[in-house]
Amino acid sequence: MRYSSESIESLVEQFSRLPTIGRKSAQRLVAHVLKMTKEDVERFAKALLAVKERVKRCSICQNVTDDVPCALCRSDKRDQGLVCVVAESNDILALERTGEYVGVYHVLGGVISPLDGIGPDDLRIRELIQRLGPDAKHVIREVILAVNPTVEGDTTAFYLAQLLTPFGVQVTRLARGLPVGSDLSFSDEATLTRALAGRGPL
Amino acid sequence: MIVHSLRLRHFRAHNDSRMTFAPKVNVLHGQNGAGKTNILEAIHYLCLSKSFLTTQDRLVLRVGAPFFELTGAFGGQRRSAVEVRLHFDPKKGKHLFTNGAPIERVADHVGMLPVVSFEPGDITITAGMPGERRRFVNNILCQAKPAYLEALTRYRRVLRQRNRLLMMAKRQGAAPDKATLASWDDALVQHGSRVIGIRAQFLTDFASFLHDAYRHLAAMEKNPAMSYSGSVSAARSWKVGAIEQAFRKQLAAAVKREHARGQTLVGPHRDEVKLTVDGLELRRYGSQGQHRTFGIAIKLAQYFYLNDRLGEPPVLLLDDVCDSLDSRRAEALLLLLQSDLVGQSLITAAGLETIRRFVPFEAGPNQRLRVHAGAVSVPDA
Ligand SMILES: [Zn+2]
Repeated sequence: MRYSSESIESLVEQFSRLPTIGRKSAQRLVAHVLKMTKEDVERFAKALLAVKERVKRCSICQNVTDDVPCALCRSDKRDQGLVCVVAESNDILALERTGEYVGVYHVLGGVISPLDGIGPDDLRIRELIQRLGPDAKHVIREVILAVNPTVEGDTTAFYLAQLLTPFGVQVTRLARGLPVGSDLSFSDEATLTRALAGRGPL
Repeated sequence: MIVHSLRLRHFRAHNDSRMTFAPKVNVLHGQNGAGKTNILEAIHYLCLSKSFLTTQDRLVLRVGAPFFELTGAFGGQRRSAVEVRLHFDPKKGKHLFTNGAPIERVADHVGMLPVVSFEPGDITITAGMPGERRRFVNNILCQAKPAYLEALTRYRRVLRQRNRLLMMAKRQGAAPDKATLASWDDALVQHGSRVIGIRAQFLTDFASFLHDAYRHLAAMEKNPAMSYSGSVSAARSWKVGAIEQAFRKQLAAAVKREHARGQTLVGPHRDEVKLTVDGLELRRYGSQGQHRTFGIAIKLAQYFYLNDRLGEPPVLLLDDVCDSLDSRRAEALLLLLQSDLVGQSLITAAGLETIRRFVPFEAGPNQRLRVHAGAVSVPDA
């Protein structure tokens, strides 16, 4: 059914554009918004806008951040010579949860997948190469490839290893402790810690 | 493994049929179209989540019914008493349950309830295109070796990705990016070589089972053989390292042709399993009788092989098998089914003449069921 209020109808439509939200869920969310106080709604709307206005991509690691470079890339408590390459920003959350990793990151923004029309040029690989170049601020000793062990993840890791090795950097891969085809961001901390500790050449 | 009982609801000719089975030979007889084969198909469904006749679940749904549901009680060594239920609804899809609990990954279920089926259409295994023989080998290995199912699934994914890359480049009239293609080549070789290695090892192991099957069928020919041939036949041994090396070489040699065609031309998806009897290639030179004997022998060999690998006799499903054999072979087969070498079997037949001569039903471990217009009954002796 459609609402007689145009503004309600428009909000339902906006909510249902979000992933995993159907029209029914959108209607439930709108019903909830109608019950919220004006202050709460304002905070919510501001948070939405702030994400768009303030969040940028880190010029070094390509992760999402408010400040450029991001806190991790600026930190002197992190080992700036150790870079862990992940497919998505969410994978960083999983690795940070382990509390064991002391290096920094690089976010590719996906994996190579011709079926999805994604080639190396669509990923932030050029930015990774820049970090290894002569103009880079830090000397990188080791690059850990922490992409999911799917067919696409493995192939992306192989591609990167071929590309990075000539730079004289050590390239390693997370140990195969992760179940085949599993998702990094769904792995538990203990498994990820073991995979990190047991990393080796491809 | 044994299937104790079965219920079919809205499945093909059956509206709601229930039946129990004997531990040795179960003969399902009745006119063609009465629903005999449906019963074998239902058991196959419960064991492997699919039919041996079609890949489309919709086609087995009884006309006008909103869903079909199969329930079977099984017993065996790998799984003691287990009730398997399969529910299909065209809107919600197919769902499998064991003892009431949903099965998340079909791959975990495949191989738990081993089954071997023969149906007259299987003649394509010996007479059809290479894909039919690959499918036969895949079917056995997916039940016997989880590592194979895993390698094959990954290989197929790599193949689709690599084909897309080649096709896109072809459309743009350019060669694919060298480094990207090299990465897919590596994945193709890695998973493809595992598939080839397991297949080749399997054919070596399978030879003695095939010989035994020929002997049991009292076949005239003495020397049936299956050999692996195809894109990497140049491999000097079936060790994975040697296969990978040969695979890479073949791939390099095919570069130009692959770019021109925009698809992968080398790999286990194009390989052939050659069948020969007494040195002659069956597909080219085999007589109709030789095809029939090989067709049934290969299934019996599959039965013995799975029994050996899984440590448990599969359920043997034989559709219209007596019509496919001359009387001497049929007699040999029916006696074999009653021997200690075979566990439970279900066999369909239009008439009982041949079977009644060799299988006693009066008492003991055998049973006959009459199937008429989608209903099952136990006839009076
Ligand atoms: Zn950063």
